[in-house]
Amino acid sequence: MSAVISAKGLTKRFGKTIAVDNISFEIPAGRIVGLIGPNGSGKTTALKAILGLTPFEGTLSVLGLDPRTQRDELMQQVCFIADVAILPRWLSVGNAVDFVAGVHPKFDRAKAERYLASTKLKPSLKVKEMSKGMVVQLHLALVMAIDAKLLVLDEPTLGLDILYRKQFYQHLLEEYFDENKTIVVTTHQVEEIEHILSDLMFIRDGKIVLSSTMDDVGTRFVEVMVPAEKADAARALKPIDERQVFGKSVMLFDGVPRETLATLGETRTPGIADIFVATMKGTYA
Amino acid sequence: MNTFKWLLKREFWEHKGGFLWLPIIVGALMITLTVISLGIAVSGVKGGMEINGVAVSSFADIVTPEKRAAFASTIVANYTKLTMPIMIAFGICVFFFCLGALHDERKDRSVLFWKSLPVSDTETVLSKVAMAIGVAPLIALAAASVTAIITALLICAAAAIAGVNIFAEVLSDPATYLAPLQLVAMLPIYALWALPAIGWLLMVSAWARSKPLLWAIGVPLLTGALLSWANGMFRFDWNMGWFWKNIVGRLLGSILPGAWFSQQGQGLPGAGDASASAVLGPALSQSWQLLADANIWIGVAAGAAMIYAAIRLRGWREEG
Repeated sequence: MSAVISAKGLTKRFGKTIAVDNISFEIPAGRIVGLIGPNGSGKTTALKAILGLTPFEGTLSVLGLDPRTQRDELMQQVCFIADVAILPRWLSVGNAVDFVAGVHPKFDRAKAERYLASTKLKPSLKVKEMSKGMVVQLHLALVMAIDAKLLVLDEPTLGLDILYRKQFYQHLLEEYFDENKTIVVTTHQVEEIEHILSDLMFIRDGKIVLSSTMDDVGTRFVEVMVPAEKADAARALKPIDERQVFGKSVMLFDGVPRETLATLGETRTPGIADIFVATMKGTYA
Repeated sequence: MNTFKWLLKREFWEHKGGFLWLPIIVGALMITLTVISLGIAVSGVKGGMEINGVAVSSFADIVTPEKRAAFASTIVANYTKLTMPIMIAFGICVFFFCLGALHDERKDRSVLFWKSLPVSDTETVLSKVAMAIGVAPLIALAAASVTAIITALLICAAAAIAGVNIFAEVLSDPATYLAPLQLVAMLPIYALWALPAIGWLLMVSAWARSKPLLWAIGVPLLTGALLSWANGMFRFDWNMGWFWKNIVGRLLGSILPGAWFSQQGQGLPGAGDASASAVLGPALSQSWQLLADANIWIGVAAGAAMIYAAIRLRGWREEG
C-alpha cells in the first residue's frame, strides 16, 4: 500500500456553503503532516471526512478503506483526538483504561499505565475533577498506547498552557511516532510544531493552496532583508510579502533562487508562520 | 461479545446513580418507613395501624391456624405493591436514560471519543437497549425483592412482639420464594412491551439537535391534539381513543413496568385477592397471553425499526 490517505475530488457542502472544494492529495506512510489553515478553512471538515464522521462527495481511501462504508474496520487502524478535552465528565482514569483495553485489540495497557504514572493522574480521578491539561494527558496516554497506523489530531492542544503543549508534542515524537505510523495534525500554533513536521499542507477556503515537504519549503521560500536602494530591484522579482523593519524592507520570495536573492541583501529561511501569514493574506478581508 | 460486555459496564459506570443507587435508596426508605410505622403500631401509641386490613391491636385475635395462614399470605401478597415505588422510580430513570443516551454524548462532544474506538454504532446503540430492558430492570427487581422480603420479616417480627408468631407460616409459604421469580419471569414481556417506547426515545435522542424531551413528548401529544381537533371539527369519526392508547400510549407510557395491565383493560388481576400466588400467578399468565396478541408484535416491529433508525442516525448526525 503506497498512500495512507488518498483523496480525489473530495468535496463537502453544507447547504450552499462549500466547506471542502474538490481537493485531491496523497499522504504516504511514515509522515507527519501539518494541515494548516485559518478558522473556517475546511480543515476540520476534511479530517472528519477522513475519519468517516461526515458524509462527502468524491473518492477518499484511507488505508485502502472507504471511511463512509468501512468505518468499523477503519477504526481498528486509525485513532484520533478531535478537539481538546472531550472525554466524558463522569469517566475516571481507571475506567477509561479498562474500557479502552476491553474494546481495542491494539491497546497496550502497560504502556498507557507507564505514561500515566509519570503524571499526577490517579486511577480514581474523574474527568470532571481534572484541569484541561490533565484531560489531554489522559487522552494522549490512551491514544499513544494504541498501535494505530494513522493518528489524526485536530487542534489537540488548543487552550493549553505552553508546558502542556511542549510536553504533548515531545511525547508524541519520542514515544509514539515511528516509520510505520502516520500523523496528520492541525493547529494554530504553527511555530510549535514546525520542527516535528515532515510535510506541510495549507488549506484556504476549502482548497489546498500549498502542499510540500518541509525540505522543499526550506528551499522554496526565502526571506531577504533588502536595503532601500535595492528595494525596486527586489520588487521586480515579485515577493509574496513585504514588511518594513528599521527602514529596511523584509521581503518573502517563493521559488526565487537563493543565490539571486543573496545579491539583494541578507537572506534567511522564514518560519512557517511567516509563510502562512503571507499565503493567507486577505482571508478575512 | 467482549466489546458488548464493556459497553454495558460503561453504561453502568455512567448511570450508577439512577440504576443502582436509586432503587437501593427507595428500598431503604420503604424499609425505614415500615420500621417506624410498625414501631408506632407495636408500642400501641395509636394502635390503629392496619396490616392488610388486620389492625395490629387485634393481633391477639389471630389465634386459629386458618387465620394465621390467611394473615401470612396477605403479607406475602403485599409483594406486588411493595415493588411498585421501585418500579416507578426505575421507569422514570429508564425514560431519561433513553432520552439522553444518544443526545448527551453529542452535546458534550464525547461522541468524538467514543467514535475514535473500534466500536460500531450498532453495538453502541444495542448496548443501550440491553441496559434499558435487561440489566437495569434486573437490578431494580433485585432491589425490590430484597425490600419485600425484609419488609415481610419486619412485619413478622412486629407480630411476634405483639404475641403472634407467624414466621413459620410466612417462611414456609412457597409464594415467598416464588414471587421474585414470577416477577423476573415478567421481564421478557416488559422488554417486548417497552420496545416501541425505547426505540422512540432512542431515535429522538439520536435525531434531536437540542431539547430531546420536548420532541419526544411534544410530537406525539401535538399530533394527537391536532388529530383530535380535526376529528371534532370535520366530524371524521376517527377512533381517537385508539390513537391515544396505541400510538401515544405505546410511544411514551409503555416504558413503565406493568403498563400492559392497564392496556389490557383489566387492571392487575386478582388485586383484591388475599394470597400472593392468587395475584402474581394470574398476572404472570395474563402477561404471557399478550404474546398471542398482534399488538405486542406490531410494537416490537415498530420498536426495532426505530432502533435501527437510531443506529443510522448516530452514524451521520454530527456533534453539537
